Amino acid sequence: MWSVLQAVPNTRNGVFTSYQPLAGTYDEMVHADGSPRPHTKRIHAVLHSTPPREFAKYQSLAELSLFNQGVTFSVYSDQQGTEKIFPICLVPRVIGATEWAKLERGLVQRIRALNLFLDDMYGEQKILKAGIMPADLVLGAKQYEKTLKGMKAPGGVRIPIAGIDLIRSPDGTFCVLEDNVRTPSGVSYVVENRLVTKRIFRENIEMSSVRSVEQYPLELAHTLRAVAPQGETDVNMVVLTPGIYNSAYFEHSFLARHMGIDLVEPSDLFVDDDTVFVRTTHGPRRVHVIYRRIDDAYLDPQFFRPDSMLGVPGLMRAYAKGRVTLANAPGNGCADDKAVYPFVPDMIRYYLGEEPSLAQVDTYVCARDDDRKYVVENLDKLVVKAVDEAGGYGMLMGPQSTAAQREEFKRRVLAEPRKYIAQHRIELSSCPTWDPARERLSPRRVDLRPFILTSPEGSWVLPGGLTRVALVEGSYVVNSSQGGGSKDTWVEREAVT
Amino acid sequence: MISRVADHCFWFGRYIDRAESSARLMQATASLVFDVDMPVTHCWQPLVIVSGEEAPFVARHGREALGHGDLVQEYMTWSKESQVSLATSVRAARECARAVRDQLSLELWEEINELYLWLGRESTETLYHENREEFYRNVRRSTQLILGLVRSTMLHGEPMRFLWMGVMLERAGQTARILDMHHHTMMRESAHDIVRMALWMSLLRACSGAEGFMKKHQGRVTAQSMVEFVLFESTFPRSIRYCLKAASDQLGRIWTEPTHTSRRRLSSLLAWLESQQKEGVELGQIHPLLTYVVDESAAICSRLSEEIQGPTQVSPPLPPTPPPEGEGANRPSQSQTQVQSA
Repeated sequence: MWSVLQAVPNTRNGVFTSYQPLAGTYDEMVHADGSPRPHTKRIHAVLHSTPPREFAKYQSLAELSLFNQGVTFSVYSDQQGTEKIFPICLVPRVIGATEWAKLERGLVQRIRALNLFLDDMYGEQKILKAGIMPADLVLGAKQYEKTLKGMKAPGGVRIPIAGIDLIRSPDGTFCVLEDNVRTPSGVSYVVENRLVTKRIFRENIEMSSVRSVEQYPLELAHTLRAVAPQGETDVNMVVLTPGIYNSAYFEHSFLARHMGIDLVEPSDLFVDDDTVFVRTTHGPRRVHVIYRRIDDAYLDPQFFRPDSMLGVPGLMRAYAKGRVTLANAPGNGCADDKAVYPFVPDMIRYYLGEEPSLAQVDTYVCARDDDRKYVVENLDKLVVKAVDEAGGYGMLMGPQSTAAQREEFKRRVLAEPRKYIAQHRIELSSCPTWDPARERLSPRRVDLRPFILTSPEGSWVLPGGLTRVALVEGSYVVNSSQGGGSKDTWVEREAVT
Repeated sequence: MISRVADHCFWFGRYIDRAESSARLMQATASLVFDVDMPVTHCWQPLVIVSGEEAPFVARHGREALGHGDLVQEYMTWSKESQVSLATSVRAARECARAVRDQLSLELWEEINELYLWLGRESTETLYHENREEFYRNVRRSTQLILGLVRSTMLHGEPMRFLWMGVMLERAGQTARILDMHHHTMMRESAHDIVRMALWMSLLRACSGAEGFMKKHQGRVTAQSMVEFVLFESTFPRSIRYCLKAASDQLGRIWTEPTHTSRRRLSSLLAWLESQQKEGVELGQIHPLLTYVVDESAAICSRLSEEIQGPTQVSPPLPPTPPPEGEGANRPSQSQTQVQSA
């Protein structure tokens, strides 16, 4: 039977054949009855008439092109330095114009508050004195750098580059899941994915109806220049990478290339008289702004880790003297700490006197007695996360866990409550996604990471952002390190009715 | 430009030209085996020796294997341990390219990346076993395309100059070694004219000079004229003189003041070679001449690597350091691979 079906390709029906949105889940493209949403009508129609064979061909062409261009990430666990492509699904995720405008406002508001929070934490700490947040929760965080207290950010902005992870709940509301205000990655895939989909859909879709993303590197260069130390003209900017074995190296080189600025490794830089220089074939050249894609701990061995051979000795002294801008500022980790996250709405109210316009996920902070009691008793219903882990590691997916795993997490939570938070599992929205085994589209869960650039002049949000998709059926984990892929994200230029 | 980036560009050029050169040398040697009646060992052994790989090769396969063409090719093409095998060169070139991806054009990067991916494919291994000629031809075409893309798609600024200097210095060394290798074989073989002719033709093929030579000499083939062609011909882009001149020109445009030792020494080496051309060389003097060229080039390369780092002091600026007396007089070693500074 099966082989008969295989032998007769179904050319009359498109890739949407028997597409069934998941029950109790918001689907990004279609209503519960399978009909397209207003802003997805055109792409839906194109896909509807695309035979699976043809779509499969496009998929493999897209993957080959990413491979040949070296649009890859390195796998950390692999000693051979293996590179993989971040799999792309050619079905785009489309966001309506009106909805995007609302999201944009919420993101800008959130970043304003987080910037003020960081200034406050490394300044007077008014929010703690006002009793809005428990002081030990923030000051006790591993990511709070006491030694930075009193230092001002030379360019005036601590979060020039942010990535905020959003998910969409079953009623269609976007919620913040996580803030990334240290070194958020993934933006290069946004630009590269667009190049791929443009090639594939150029005959079917007027891409002019979709807001462009390719200006990101220029906007980034503009932002970096705008946060240079005050009074500096003729600003020299660099991108600082740990090197070619870093998993995000492609992105570091991508951004440097598209901004037309130098990509440097720590050993290329040195500090003399509290001023940063890059070694060139014609002698040292002054550096004013460093877009660093290196963790705080490896910036300056003299400051953070005396045992480390990595980093640029003296860099933090230059920073403290206001001679160089680090983007993002060191010490930002205390603002995107998962245990601080539940207090962001309060920050917005406190610093801005506004109501938060973005929703976020209700969170149990295990450091609080009542919350901890609830979490320990309801592990099978909750998602438990370690506050200092990223990439989907150190996590318990309660509803899919075994009794032994739950027992293990109970022990861990009770041993170090400060380290854990818990949330109810959100039925992440889904999007039609190419399913190579079935040779048609199936619903897979997605999230969204928009990128926000901020200078003293204000914020700019990249229209769209990175849509990550859990390619494995039933999975909620979208991280590239754990079987996630990505999609091009289209923001509609003008609302259709 | 950034010192480390300059170093990577330089080595990218060296590795690419090395890969191209070994593919051609392997083809020329395979063809020589059919052309001359001499022990197969005498065809393949010199190839291993001039690459500086005799000791590791013998340690791995035994001395007997030096006459085994397939083993030699296998080793010189695929060996991961060898510092100079084709696979190692391509991998190293691609790694350099990745580290300076922001300096290369997209076309250039795609080509080196595709060559690297192609070498790792199973179908390529099959091709290697079933059609050796085609395999080496593919490698040559791809590396030659890369060299062409360097000139036609990169900005002709410092990164390209360092890269091209790497190509030219590597090529000068390769030509010197290939000439030396044929010269040795010649000394050992009987003075039979047919054998000699085949060997000299193989030399010209190994450095892509057969047609160029004929154009210059209209079919009059003598040992003296061939050796002079490969050493001195100013219009032949693989002659040692041409390569040194081209490298010296690039370096002179990077550092316009003659304060750098590497620049001065490269000019001196070129001047010395030109004086040898004027005086005329005897066939018996080739070996010491080539040894000097190879050693001096290696010394210049290592000096260059140091000088690429630039002066690191900011204030006050240091006066240029005078070269130590007699530097490089006893430096027989040649540096075959990039030294990672970090």
